[in-house]
Amino acid sequence: MVCIRRATVDDLLAMQACNLMCLPENYQMKYYLYHILSWPQLLYVAEDYNGRIVGYVLAKMEEESNECHGHITSLAVLRTHRKLGLATKLMTAAQAAMEQVYGAEYVSLHVRRSNRAAFNLYTETLGYQINDVEAKYYADGEDAYDMRKNLKGKQIHHHHGGGGHAHHHHGAGCCSGDAKEAEDAKATSSK
Amino acid sequence: MASKFGLAGGIPERRVRPIWDAIDSRQFKNALKLLTSLLSKYPKSPYALALKALIHERMGKPDEALAVCLDAKDLLYKDDSSLMDDLTLSTLQIVFQRLDHLDLATSCYAHACGRFPNNLELMMGLFNCYVREYSFVKQQQTAIKMYKLAGEERFLLWAVCSIQLQVLCDKSGEKLLLLAEGLLKKHIASHSMHEPEALMVYISLLEQQSKYNDALEVLSGNLGSLLVIEVDKLRIQGRLLARARDYSAAVDVYKKVLELSPDDWECFLQYLGCLFEDDSMWKFFDDIDQIHPTKHIECKFSHLTEEMFDSRISSASELVQKLQRDTENSNLRGPHLAEIEIEKRKFLFGKKNDRELLKSLLQYFLKFGHLACYASDVEAFLQVLPPHKKAEFVGMLVKNSDSVSASATIELGQTTTILKVQELTGNIFELPLGEIEASAVKLAKLYCQNLPLSKDLDPQESMFGEELLSLISNMLVQLFWRTRHFGYLAEAIMVLELGLTIRGHVWQYKILLLHIYSYIGALPLAFERYKALDVKNILTETVSHHILHQMLESPMWVDLSNLLQDYLKFMDDHLKESADLTFLAYRHRNYSKVIEFVLFKERLQQSNQYEAARVEASLLQLKQNADSIEEEERVLENLKSGVQFVDLSKEMGSRTLRFNEDMQTRPWWTPCPEKNYLLGSFEEFSYCPKENVNKDREENVRRAIQRKSLVPRMIYLSIQCSATALKESVETNGSGGDVKTCGELKSLLEEYTKMLGSSFSDAVGMITEISQGARTSESLGSDLVDWLNFAVFWNAWSLSSQEHWHVLNLLFERLILDRIKSMGSSDMSSCYSDVQVLVQIITEPLGWHCLVIQACTRSSLPTGKKKKKAQHSDHLPSSPMTQAVKDSIHSLCSTVQEVSTWLTNQINNPEDAQVEKFLSTLKRNEDAGGPGHVLWVLESFIASSEESEVGSRIFEALKTWSKADSTRKTVTAQQKLLREFLQICESKRELLEKLKQQMTHV
Repeated sequence: MVCIRRATVDDLLAMQACNLMCLPENYQMKYYLYHILSWPQLLYVAEDYNGRIVGYVLAKMEEESNECHGHITSLAVLRTHRKLGLATKLMTAAQAAMEQVYGAEYVSLHVRRSNRAAFNLYTETLGYQINDVEAKYYADGEDAYDMRKNLKGKQIHHHHGGGGHAHHHHGAGCCSGDAKEAEDAKATSSK
Repeated sequence: MASKFGLAGGIPERRVRPIWDAIDSRQFKNALKLLTSLLSKYPKSPYALALKALIHERMGKPDEALAVCLDAKDLLYKDDSSLMDDLTLSTLQIVFQRLDHLDLATSCYAHACGRFPNNLELMMGLFNCYVREYSFVKQQQTAIKMYKLAGEERFLLWAVCSIQLQVLCDKSGEKLLLLAEGLLKKHIASHSMHEPEALMVYISLLEQQSKYNDALEVLSGNLGSLLVIEVDKLRIQGRLLARARDYSAAVDVYKKVLELSPDDWECFLQYLGCLFEDDSMWKFFDDIDQIHPTKHIECKFSHLTEEMFDSRISSASELVQKLQRDTENSNLRGPHLAEIEIEKRKFLFGKKNDRELLKSLLQYFLKFGHLACYASDVEAFLQVLPPHKKAEFVGMLVKNSDSVSASATIELGQTTTILKVQELTGNIFELPLGEIEASAVKLAKLYCQNLPLSKDLDPQESMFGEELLSLISNMLVQLFWRTRHFGYLAEAIMVLELGLTIRGHVWQYKILLLHIYSYIGALPLAFERYKALDVKNILTETVSHHILHQMLESPMWVDLSNLLQDYLKFMDDHLKESADLTFLAYRHRNYSKVIEFVLFKERLQQSNQYEAARVEASLLQLKQNADSIEEEERVLENLKSGVQFVDLSKEMGSRTLRFNEDMQTRPWWTPCPEKNYLLGSFEEFSYCPKENVNKDREENVRRAIQRKSLVPRMIYLSIQCSATALKESVETNGSGGDVKTCGELKSLLEEYTKMLGSSFSDAVGMITEISQGARTSESLGSDLVDWLNFAVFWNAWSLSSQEHWHVLNLLFERLILDRIKSMGSSDMSSCYSDVQVLVQIITEPLGWHCLVIQACTRSSLPTGKKKKKAQHSDHLPSSPMTQAVKDSIHSLCSTVQEVSTWLTNQINNPEDAQVEKFLSTLKRNEDAGGPGHVLWVLESFIASSEESEVGSRIFEALKTWSKADSTRKTVTAQQKLLREFLQICESKRELLEKLKQQMTHV
């Protein structure tokens, strides 16, 4: 199959397996389903040449704030398939879909302060900038960088403080509870 | 509707809000208090009642909740319009759903919609109810009504989706698709179409009817512009052209896709398929039954002349070369892999180009051989080569890797790759022992040598050379298999435990350890490693096969019960809740996902593991309670006397079974739960790739489920037969049991033997011969326990025959004692498979037989608690059958005692001595081969390593690891398992002693 393609519901089986193999966290299945049923255009998987899923990106739209923007929820690439540019490709695909399908103004994400490899990917390769620092964002007390990247070449409107975290508590659908729980476990694995 | 009245359910919002808040914060008592005061003001409000029901339900009082709900429902039906709003209905719906009464929720909405036929909000609620019930026809009807009312595109598509689901799931006639097509056409003509997803549904609808050209026309028309991502559109176009067999046009489209996206492998395969006018490729793409699609793609060339083939393959070559030139500066593997694919096709066509094929694989190695993905990239190509060519290729790799080693990481990567290729071609199994041993030692050195590279890595990062330890342990396990020298296995454990100490997250180590520990009977430790995998959610479906099988055959009932319950809970919950998520997709207008998701639910519902786990969970309860017939009868009552399982067994024959397990993560020696090469000898082994193991499993798994589903009912019937048998045999000397019960048991026995591949009479012949020693127990194969079950229930069916009792006693004796004899004084590590069989015999057939005896004994005892009196007045005269029961108890008692004695001997063996023995197998012989050399390399490195060299984290890990600790843990785990088993045996023995006592009164 294609190297980077949209995820199907069936992919969830292999995506979760991928999670077992490369992420310390693994999410509630409802959380995946919530994403794929709500914003299927934003879920991409990286498929190896013999059909095995070796990475994925999970993203969503935040339609409640003034500016319609996307948010990267999770990014994972199997350890055996790192350093091949897959994370970049997955991110690019999801970002493009946010812009083209949903007209997103910008895209945001959170990354652990200690995760140097991921931080470098976001800043150097993908052009994200630090928008804010969220103190003790993760369950284990680590801070997160709130990072943003402008889509459509517009200026990013910085609004520190209040607005930053609010979107994690959106009440869309039946999975909002899980959404928060899994948000705590962030994209960590783009090494 | 609420807005119409400005009030929710006719009650001001400010009065209701605090109640909802209290419910949300789980202060149910407070909520109930507030509600009581609300009800005093609005005693006839269905909304207030619905809230009350909700609180009761949350407080765990389902009966009260249902009663209140029904009151509310009555009020709704009786009362006039004003109070029938969506808020009331949806609150009721929540409670009904939680009480498993979806039908009642639906009827409330249906009633409301009847009252207010033009209320869109209520209709949406009704549609949602039908979604929850998977009532596709009703969904369709409701959506059409909504469409007619509001004229919105989305409602039409809800209807169309519902139609597609009828065709896909209910297997309704495809004529319905024509109806859907008509509806869409009409809508497009008057309103056009506005959603990309709607267009996708339209196209899929046409595709489902094989109207590819119509679909192409739609795609190239105005509506096509709804798809904004060009390459997506081209892919669909290519697929439609290919399906329409317009191959040359499809080839052109696929070329365009490849130019835009040169790494698109699926597209390349489809391009080749179209180029060779080969439609067999769809089988490959349509096969979604496995988690990982099959790697082998069939190719059909018979319709091509050599000339045609040559010209087409050369145009493919041209394209690939162009793609390679265009992507020269990127590290895309696709175009290079495409070159190998072309050589492979030539080879399959019969071009005798094996040299070129190997060369292209080597080229690919020189470019990408250091990457961890090389081996899996080329696996499918290697599969087409004959064994000697595979071996030749490995030789080529070895030769060429030495000449290019540029940096330490590249050398490390290439060495790892070569080993992986040796593994996946099976080449490694052909090497002489000495060579494998030397290779393992070399890898261990390489691992140590490269540890400093990982000095500064984050703990979560993959280490350099991480895979080497898995490869080494795979070799050591093979060496054990070939030599039966336990030291190798012990060494594999050490290597992996050390690896895990250095990098705690490596799942491969955990899985390998889990299987080694399982093999040597250190199951509690295996289970610990399994738990460390943190398997939850859907992973319980895909990953739990690693441990489930061993647990089912173990005495670790508490852990097994948790394992089964967690899995079943996840599956049950998902199946219950998934409908709510389906509606999410409807609401977000992601129609294609609605379909996918409903099909996905079916896939999980049809899971073979799910079916098996449900039966196993019940069997486990029966095993756990078998020592008390009263308890067992309670369990059976909850299982509806096993009737439902019998139905399941009957349906099983025609049911679709899905296999969602991820078998590729399993170690080489156990490619699926039912297979373990280590139990057989190396000489009988022929290496086969792990792929498609599920295909072979289907029939066996189906039969096993069918067989096991009959057991609860047979236990029930056996108890019934026995309950009256003894009395009757005394009174009438009859055959025992009432005719109907016996008849049913007989027919189940016939079913059961059929599923063992035998007829009833042959089965009786078989067990009789084995009991007499005329046949060996080996002729029962791996179904030994099932045969014994048969013998037990057969005896229960014909209790009056002393001869049958005798056969059964002998059978138990022979099968158990033979095993004990063969185990002798060998330790657990080498005879665990025998222990596993014993556990099953004791806990299943022997347990069931004890139940039969309990039932017989109970019936022979006087009713009530008049024991003293009994000896005088109710005393039954001894009959041949009483004697048979007594003999059986006696025989079982001494047989179980033998098992207990064996276990006690094992347990009494001092732990220190066992640790010592284990460690002694690891001592290396400096001048000769054998186990211990790998470990010696690792230990020497640990002793000499310095913090500055490997970094503090790794240094700490190296220093904390201890060989003796790992050994002790293993031994302790083995002991723990033995103790659990001993406890079961002891409890059986106590039961039998008690029965013996009771029978002395008879």
